[in-house]
Amino acid sequence: MVGVGKRYPATIAVDNVDFEVYAGEVHALVGENGAGKSTLMKMLAGSFNDYTGAIFVNDREVRLSSPSVAKSYGIGMIYQELSLAQPISIAENLLAGRLPRKGLFIDRDKMVKQAKRLLKTVGLDTLDPLLPIEDISQHEAQLVEIAKVVGTNPCILVMDEPTSALSKEEVERLFEIIGRLRNTGMAIVYISHHLPEIFRIADRVTVMRDAKKVATRNIKDISREEIVQMMVGKSIKEFFQKEAHPIGKPLLEVKNLSRWGFFHHIDMTVHAGEIVGICGLSGAGRSELAQVICGVEKADEGSIVLDGENIGGLSMAKRVMKGLGYLTEDRKLEGLALRLAMDDNILSAMIPQLRHGMIYNNRYGRNMAKKLVKDLSIYPTDLSRTAGNLSGGNQQKLLLAKWMATNPKVLILDEPSRGVDVGAKMTIHDTIERLAKEGSAVIVISSDLPELVRLSDRVLIMRKGHFTRNMEQNELSEESLLLAANTEVGA
Amino acid sequence: MSEKQVNDVRALRTSRFSSILNNFGIYAIAVLFIIFGALLQSVGAINNFLNPKNLLNIVDAVALLGIVAAGMAFVTYSGHYADLSVPTTIALTGIVSVELLKYGFIPAILGALVVGLGVGVVNAVVIGKFKANPIIWTLSMSYVSLGIIRFVWVNKQIYPDMITDDAFAVMLFDNIYRFRLFGVISLPLILMILLVVAGQFLLKKTPFGAQLKLTGSARRTAKFTGVNVEMMVGMAFVICAFTATIAGLAITSLSRVGAWYNGEGYDFRAVTAIVIGGMTLAGGRGSIVGVLGGTIVIGLMNNIMTLLGIGTFSQDIIRGAIFILVVAINAKNLRSMGRDDA
Repeated sequence: MVGVGKRYPATIAVDNVDFEVYAGEVHALVGENGAGKSTLMKMLAGSFNDYTGAIFVNDREVRLSSPSVAKSYGIGMIYQELSLAQPISIAENLLAGRLPRKGLFIDRDKMVKQAKRLLKTVGLDTLDPLLPIEDISQHEAQLVEIAKVVGTNPCILVMDEPTSALSKEEVERLFEIIGRLRNTGMAIVYISHHLPEIFRIADRVTVMRDAKKVATRNIKDISREEIVQMMVGKSIKEFFQKEAHPIGKPLLEVKNLSRWGFFHHIDMTVHAGEIVGICGLSGAGRSELAQVICGVEKADEGSIVLDGENIGGLSMAKRVMKGLGYLTEDRKLEGLALRLAMDDNILSAMIPQLRHGMIYNNRYGRNMAKKLVKDLSIYPTDLSRTAGNLSGGNQQKLLLAKWMATNPKVLILDEPSRGVDVGAKMTIHDTIERLAKEGSAVIVISSDLPELVRLSDRVLIMRKGHFTRNMEQNELSEESLLLAANTEVGA
Repeated sequence: MSEKQVNDVRALRTSRFSSILNNFGIYAIAVLFIIFGALLQSVGAINNFLNPKNLLNIVDAVALLGIVAAGMAFVTYSGHYADLSVPTTIALTGIVSVELLKYGFIPAILGALVVGLGVGVVNAVVIGKFKANPIIWTLSMSYVSLGIIRFVWVNKQIYPDMITDDAFAVMLFDNIYRFRLFGVISLPLILMILLVVAGQFLLKKTPFGAQLKLTGSARRTAKFTGVNVEMMVGMAFVICAFTATIAGLAITSLSRVGAWYNGEGYDFRAVTAIVIGGMTLAGGRGSIVGVLGGTIVIGLMNNIMTLLGIGTFSQDIIRGAIFILVVAINAKNLRSMGRDDA
C-alpha cells in the first residue's frame, strides 16, 4: 500500500500511509484506538471504494473496490466481531459459498469431510462439523472463523485482535497455526493491543498514531517501552500515581439490597470523596447491582439512600435529578446515541434539568458541553459532529462527559475504560479522580485490575451475588484482587 | 483567529447551511413542482393548474394529509416507522361521530375523540410497554377496528341526515370540512397549521421532544439515561391517533357518510410525506415543518398527475416508486456517514 488515505466526512482516518507486508512474515500493526489501524485494514479488505493512493498485490496495482474483489486477490480478513451465522452448522459456515454439490443437492458426506479437514488446521478435530454455531463456545467459534478464512487459501491474511476471546492454551494453539501459515509463505498482518503477543510472533511491527504511520521496525531492534512511546507520543512514566484526598460524609448507603437470582443482601456505604472499586468475575452480579441502584431494574428487598434521602421508590429519571449517575458498560448500545450529535449526547442525561418552564433549549447547556469537551480533550471539538464518527476512546470520553455534565453526587462507572487506548484511559482516570476530589462518591466496576488498583481507595470483592471481602488500599495489588475474586464465599 | 478557529467556524457554517438545506430543501422541491406545473400549462399539456380554484383544491388536499402526517411523524420520529391503524382509525372515529350525531354535535365530536384516543392508548400500551412490533401490531389493530365497524354497523354506511332530524347538528357537522374563514381558509387548513406549529414546538422545543429524539435514535441508551421510553413511545402513538381522529372528522364531514373505507390510502401517503419531508425511518431525525413540506410536494404531485390524466392506479405506482427511491437515498446517505443502520 503506497500513500493510501481515507477520509470520513468528519475526520481523516488514514492519512497518506505506506504499508507493506512480505510473503512469509508476520507483520504486527499497533496503535491506540482511533489511530487508523482498522480503517487501514478495511481498505485492504475492499470495504471502501473511495480511498486515495494505490494498493499493490504481488507487485501488481489493484483497485480493491469491494470485498469480493479483495477476496479474489487472495486477501482474507478475520475480524474481532464474529461473522458466523448463528443457527447454521459449523460445516456450512466453513464452506459458505462453496459447498460441495451432488447434482442439485448438497453433498453431505463430502461437506463433512472437507469441514473436518479445515477444523484440523485449527486443532478442533474433535468437534462435530454438523453442530450449529450457537452450540459451541465463543473461543471455539473464533477458531472456526479462522479456519473458515484460512480455508479460502488467501495469500494475505489480516487478523484483527484474534486472541481477545481466547484462553491462554488456545492462544498458544493459534500462535502455532500462525507460525505454520507463515512457513507456507502466507503474508500475515496481526493487529493487537497485547504487546507481549507481538513480541512472541511478529517479525516486524508498524506503529500508527493519529491516522499516520510512525515507523516500521524489525521486532528484534525495538523494545516494548519504545513501542509504547511511539503509540502514545509521550513517555508513560507519569501514568501510575495516586493522590490522597479527604473522605467526607456518606453519600450512598445501600442496605440489605437483593434482586433474587442476581445478588443478595448487599450492604455498602460510599462516602464523599471516596472511590470504591467493585471487583468480581463476569456474572458475579456487578452490573445488575448498579442497574438496581440507578433504578433501571427493581429491587426485591432492601433500601437505597442517596445523601440522606431514600430513593428506593423513585424512577431513574428522578434519581438522576437527585444526583445519581450510571455510566453503562456498553457505550454503543446503552451509553451513547451514535446517530446524534456530540452535544445531544453530552446533554442527554440532563434534559429535565435544562427545562425552562415548558421549553427545552440545549443552548443553555452548550457552554457546559464545550467546557467538558475541552476538559476531557475529546476530538473532534465541533459539537455538531455525529457521535458514531468518533473513535472508541473519544466515544468513551464523550460518555463520561455526559455523566459529568449532570454534576453527580454519586457516579457509578461500569467498565469506564474498556477497549480504549492508553491516552484516553489516562484522561478518564484523571477525570474520575478529580470528581472524587471535588466531593462526589464514585463507584468503579471493572475487570481491569490495574485500573482498580490505581483508582480505588478500597475494593469490594463480589462473588456469586455477594460481597465477600472489603480490601483497603494498602492490600491492593493485581495479584491479591485476582486471588480474592476467585476465593469461595467464607474462605 | 488561529487557523484552527477559522476552520471550526467554517465547519459550523457549512453544517448550519446543510441543516437549512435539510429542512427547507423540500420546499425548494415544492417550488420546482409549481414551476413545472406552470410550464406544463404554458405549453398546453395541462389546463387550469394555476387557476385559483385548482390551487385551493391542492391546499385542501394538503390540509387533510398534513393533519394525518403531523401526528404520524411522531411515531416515525420515535423509531417505530409508521402507524398502519390510521386509516381505520379515521373510518372508525368518522362513523362513530355520525352515529352519535343523534345526541347532538358536541357528543359526536367527544365520542370520536374518546374512541380515537382509546385506539391510541391501546397502541401505546402494546407497543410502548410490551414492545410489540409496531408494523405488525398496528396492522392487526386496523383489522380489529375494521371488524368493529363491520360488526356494529352490519356493513352499512350511515349518513348524517338519515341519523338525525336535527338539521342544525347536521349543518355543523357538514361545516367541519366546509367552513371557510373569509370564504377562503378552510377549517381543516386552520387545524393543520395549528397542529404543525404545535407539533414542531413539541418536537424541537420541549423536554418531551428532546427525550423522544433520544428514544428514537437509541432506545436502550435512552432507557439507561433515565428516559421513560415506554411513556415516550406511547405518547407518540396517542398523538398519532389524536390527529387521525381530527382527520376522521374532517374526511367524514367532506364525504357526508360514515363508512369503513373513509381513511383508505392515508397510511401510505402519510409515510411517503414523512419520508420525503426528511424524517428518516430510522427515527430521531427531521422535523414537522419538513413533513409539511413533504405533504405539499405530494399534494402538488397528485394534482399535476391528475391534471395530466394519469389514472389512479398508475399514480399509485409512481408514488410507490418515489417512496422506494427516497428510502434508498436515505439509506445510502446514512451509510456514507459511516452508519449503516438505516
